[in-house]
Amino acid sequence: MKKNISRLVPFLIMASFLVSGCNQDTSSTVTTVKPAITTQAEKPQGPVYKGKVVGRSNKAKQISIAVGKGKDAKTIMVSFDENTTGLEHAKKGHGAIIAYEMRDGVPFATTIKQKLAKLPQGVTVISPQDVKALIDADKDFLLVDSRPGKRYSASHLPGAVSIPVCEMQELLQNLPKHKDKLLIFYCGGPT
Amino acid sequence: MSPKSAGQAVKAGYKNIQVMLAGEPAWIKAGYSTYANYGFVCRGNNVIIDLRSPEKSAAARVPRSVNMPFASFEDTYDEIPIKAPIVLYSDNEEETIAALRILQAEGYKKISLIEGGFHGWKRVGGRLVKGPVVTDVHWQRILAEGEVSLAEFEKAMKDPNEAIILDVRTRDEVSEGKIEISQHIPLDELCKEMDQFICNIKDMQKGQKIYIHCTTGARAEMAYKELKKRGYNASYLVAEVECDGNDCSIEE
Repeated sequence: MKKNISRLVPFLIMASFLVSGCNQDTSSTVTTVKPAITTQAEKPQGPVYKGKVVGRSNKAKQISIAVGKGKDAKTIMVSFDENTTGLEHAKKGHGAIIAYEMRDGVPFATTIKQKLAKLPQGVTVISPQDVKALIDADKDFLLVDSRPGKRYSASHLPGAVSIPVCEMQELLQNLPKHKDKLLIFYCGGPT
Repeated sequence: MSPKSAGQAVKAGYKNIQVMLAGEPAWIKAGYSTYANYGFVCRGNNVIIDLRSPEKSAAARVPRSVNMPFASFEDTYDEIPIKAPIVLYSDNEEETIAALRILQAEGYKKISLIEGGFHGWKRVGGRLVKGPVVTDVHWQRILAEGEVSLAEFEKAMKDPNEAIILDVRTRDEVSEGKIEISQHIPLDELCKEMDQFICNIKDMQKGQKIYIHCTTGARAEMAYKELKKRGYNASYLVAEVECDGNDCSIEE
């Protein structure tokens, strides 16, 4: 049964047009995952930790993951072993959903999945190659770097402006007047 | 971050929005360049490399830049610390890109360019300095929150009153050797028995500094977060630690 589910998952992900998103420091929760589409197969079984991976040690077989928001934010240590699936998704700084079970009072990871971000309605994905082509063709568009200002400062795409996601609301007036002008956003990559 | 920003733009009424989900790392991987902004060139914790000739560099260069002429770059680049953010510039775009490729192939990760190179810098009114060329690279990594410097750590290795050194490697690793005065508990056991373990350390006092290490810093950082959560005065070392008996080599 478990195998069937894992075989279904990639298909369901594609079918739901879910795409991997960027680091979302603020959107971690310890609650069960709400899948974008409601099918039985998408729901992880049992409890999960959802958040950003702080670190992973293969030697100690431990993953540390930051979960919760604001006052409830905390890091949790989860053990894993050779039967844990999806270990490649437990990458430092990346969003992950860790399904776990308690063994001797310690959380033990059973399945690890990439935390997926959904794009807002009407927004589409563009590849680096296509962005490069637009720049080379001198097309009229605004390229926005959503990362913190420090990251932008050290290394950004040519012609990009810095509007960190946290300041987006205050800096909306920096966006073009014409609402149909092309805006392209980027950040630190899929997590 | 970018899908969230895109969502706010949608709410604000923008109709034509795309997201480059693969992000800046994928842009670099595709072989395209990224750029440093003015402030980062002036004040960043970085190494700025002038790829032009020593004569040109002596006549006018970007402040703080180190001269590594492209002609001999392959012999000199390894003086740049591997973890340092690097800003490259020249008056020759092809050479700049070639130098960028050399560094990327050698595993340097944080490399950006000055937009328009030397001429671009001049065009935006960038400050220039002149005088004998600088060829020595001086760069110190700025410690992240919770990190202990190697110097402080080494002090504690000699003087147990400085801090308690906590080794969180596995028993197997420790059987090869350890820092003589360190306390050892494997990372996975630390989480279960932290308070008990720390209470049992001789001369342990409240607020006592604890320096954590492993073989690279990854486990030490995880242990640090756990200890800090419970209110201990801990910090961690990011360095390669290798021990043979009580003889340990530590390299940043």
